[in-house]
Amino acid sequence: MKLEESKVFVNDCFSGEPASCSYACPFGLDIRFFMERVRKGRWIPAYKMFRDTVIFPVIVSRLCPQPCRNNCQRPSIGDEPLAVRDLEYACTLYALNRRPENFVIPPKTQRIAIIGAGPAGLSCALNLAQKNFHVILFEKETGWGGELRAHPDFKLFDEEIALQFSSTRVDFEFNREIGSLDELTGFDAIYVATGKNGATFDLMESRDSDLMNTSRPGVFMGGALCGVPLMESIAQGSLLARIMEAYFQTGRAARPDSDRVITDRVHFLNHSGEEKKALVTMASPDCYTEGEAKAEASRCFLCDCKICWENCEMIKWFRKMPPRLGVEVYTDSQAGSSLSKRSLIRETYSCNICGKCKSVCPVGVDIGALMQFSREDRLRTNKNIPAFHDFWIRQFDFHTSEAFFVSPSKEMKSCEYLFFPGCQLGAAEPDHVLKSYAYLQETLNAGIMVGCCGAPAYWAGDKKRLSGNVERIRSIWDSMDRPTFIFACAYCENIFRLLMPEIKQESLYTVMAKDDTIVPARLFEAAAMFDPCTARDDLSMQEGIRILAGRANVAIEELDNPNRCCGYGGHMRLANPGLYEEITKHRKDASDKPYIVYCANCREVFRQKGKECAHILDMVYEIDQGKCAPTLKSQKENALEVKKKLMKRLIGDDFIPEKHEWDSIRLIISQELQDELDRKLIIEDDLKEAIWLAERTGERFLSDDGVFQCSMVKSVLTYWVQYKELATGEYEIQSAYIHRMKFNREG
Amino acid sequence: MEQNRTWKCAKCDKELVLKKMLFSYLGHTFSHEIMRCPKCGNGLIPKELAEGRMAEVEAQLEDK
Ligand SMILES: [Zn+2]
Repeated sequence: MKLEESKVFVNDCFSGEPASCSYACPFGLDIRFFMERVRKGRWIPAYKMFRDTVIFPVIVSRLCPQPCRNNCQRPSIGDEPLAVRDLEYACTLYALNRRPENFVIPPKTQRIAIIGAGPAGLSCALNLAQKNFHVILFEKETGWGGELRAHPDFKLFDEEIALQFSSTRVDFEFNREIGSLDELTGFDAIYVATGKNGATFDLMESRDSDLMNTSRPGVFMGGALCGVPLMESIAQGSLLARIMEAYFQTGRAARPDSDRVITDRVHFLNHSGEEKKALVTMASPDCYTEGEAKAEASRCFLCDCKICWENCEMIKWFRKMPPRLGVEVYTDSQAGSSLSKRSLIRETYSCNICGKCKSVCPVGVDIGALMQFSREDRLRTNKNIPAFHDFWIRQFDFHTSEAFFVSPSKEMKSCEYLFFPGCQLGAAEPDHVLKSYAYLQETLNAGIMVGCCGAPAYWAGDKKRLSGNVERIRSIWDSMDRPTFIFACAYCENIFRLLMPEIKQESLYTVMAKDDTIVPARLFEAAAMFDPCTARDDLSMQEGIRILAGRANVAIEELDNPNRCCGYGGHMRLANPGLYEEITKHRKDASDKPYIVYCANCREVFRQKGKECAHILDMVYEIDQGKCAPTLKSQKENALEVKKKLMKRLIGDDFIPEKHEWDSIRLIISQELQDELDRKLIIEDDLKEAIWLAERTGERFLSDDGVFQCSMVKSVLTYWVQYKELATGEYEIQSAYIHRMKFNREG
Repeated sequence: MEQNRTWKCAKCDKELVLKKMLFSYLGHTFSHEIMRCPKCGNGLIPKELAEGRMAEVEAQLEDK
């Protein structure tokens, strides 16, 4: 992986960049950073960063025309912009130690002549002197200041210039007018800053406005002489010092690499809902008191985009913004040995990949896509954690092999429509599939394919399984004369759109919505609509559900922030159980009304979490709401039951599920333990197999009170079972648990 | 009650003894003392260990 490959996902993110005000600032001052300090009364750090950026804080804080205020975002709610300059000035008053730092830098060999001790020349001189170049400043007047000398506040500025030059050495030659550049010999560079209408030495026409150099090597020109306004003239000094450094090193004037290009990406955020705050007025006419300044700075929104953070528990949980995630995906991919530490594995597998971030981001940054990219890379390079996805990969394998079934409608060879209910719908409730298929068969003569779209393989980053599944579906689709797929699950729809865009799509719910003979049962008087994350872009599906719910005469409440993942997405539950609990709780609490859902996964999650909810198909077919979430065991049985009934109905054959030697074992499991096993994703069949194995090999432990314990390694997990034998082939399970480590008894 | 149980290896009919066992996960290997059969070497991992300390170590290694 190359850094660019992971950064491309987050390049557009502007989180952490200077705010809109800074884009307007001639100095590019990080005003947000400044305000953060001022509001806390931290005058010294505020002053220091201000001084480092503008060189002459008192001059700038008195004379800057404040273009930043035009880019302040507070007026978006009707307030006045921040009094930026007054706060800068306050900072020069309340920072106790304003003495410039002594720069301990080895002296440079180059000598630079500067012509003109106005703002441009002074700024350049000071910037170069701070880098320990030898600077000689020639001025025809009796002192420094240039155009500022005529200003009523010149006394103040005079003191400021003296203060700022007090820790560095610059040789000033006043009363010295330069008539020709030939007078200046022995200099490595010359800066002509002779002010408005000053001497140009016939170089003006050859001046490059970007690099400030002229046709004469080593001679630069800038400031009011070139029509540059006062603040920009001061700002030029710092840039020119760096251009000259590049010139000394390479013989060519060039912008330094590190130069932050202030782009015009001015991003205005939405501040509606923020409290209005009036401009803080000054008690004394001249400047803010410390208290007033802190209050005024507190009006700053500290504009920084955090929209994804506010909408995503995962980003909040790890406190990492997109630019950092983009870099860490790359650095993790480079961490090879066990010595170098990876930092992002938990984040990568904690993402719901639900697309919420992308949908709220002003520039469409998709962290899910970045995490998916990382998951695929990790699997390919064996840096994945198999245990995070093993359970669902086994489910995927089951649904695409033993439970897989496809057939056109009775006595047909091909079909115009093929119902693809998805793996979870029938596993949760066989009638959802059987009854809705009966309807589609009757109305559209549709066929049916019971399988899996591949979401578990997709989330695991398992491209091999995913593409195998896609190839198979595609070739069946082709052999059936390319039917339109009818989906009951928005995730299947999304996966198909992504991987098999050539297959035409339709949603079961839009089909049903068009048929006004379908009147769902009114299971609730009022309910909140829980639109799944995956239906975010499918407005017709969303509308279809509302039409159906409307026919049932249910009063629908819309959620404030819809289309957030219920928690199921990305199969992140095992990678981050704590975050999973938090997300599911937030979703459950998003409304106190029961939910209408139309995703089998949402239904499963809410039922497990005890949230009253009904799938729209529960309403259409009046399925008993008293039933709790199906156990893992019944999910598998349900899927096989669906296949059995379909096979009988469409082909007339009897389906015979795979047989295992442990099938005849009977387990007694208390409800409490069953709930625990479901939470831990432990399937009853695996316990039977473990016991069968232990009974056959004799490898088990026995306690003094007659309890057996055995273990079995299966795939990436080790299963442990404690059981009592009640009769031959009948066992009462006392506990069962798993771990991911393997142990080696030879060791 | 569970902590007080004494276990024996049902296959070898031997009382278990505390002995080092090698563990491995994600390419890392380390040893830890657990109750094992002195004859066949089979080890018993109690629930508290599997869901406590072992789960912690698993998470640490996953984050490495
Ligand atoms: Zn033994």
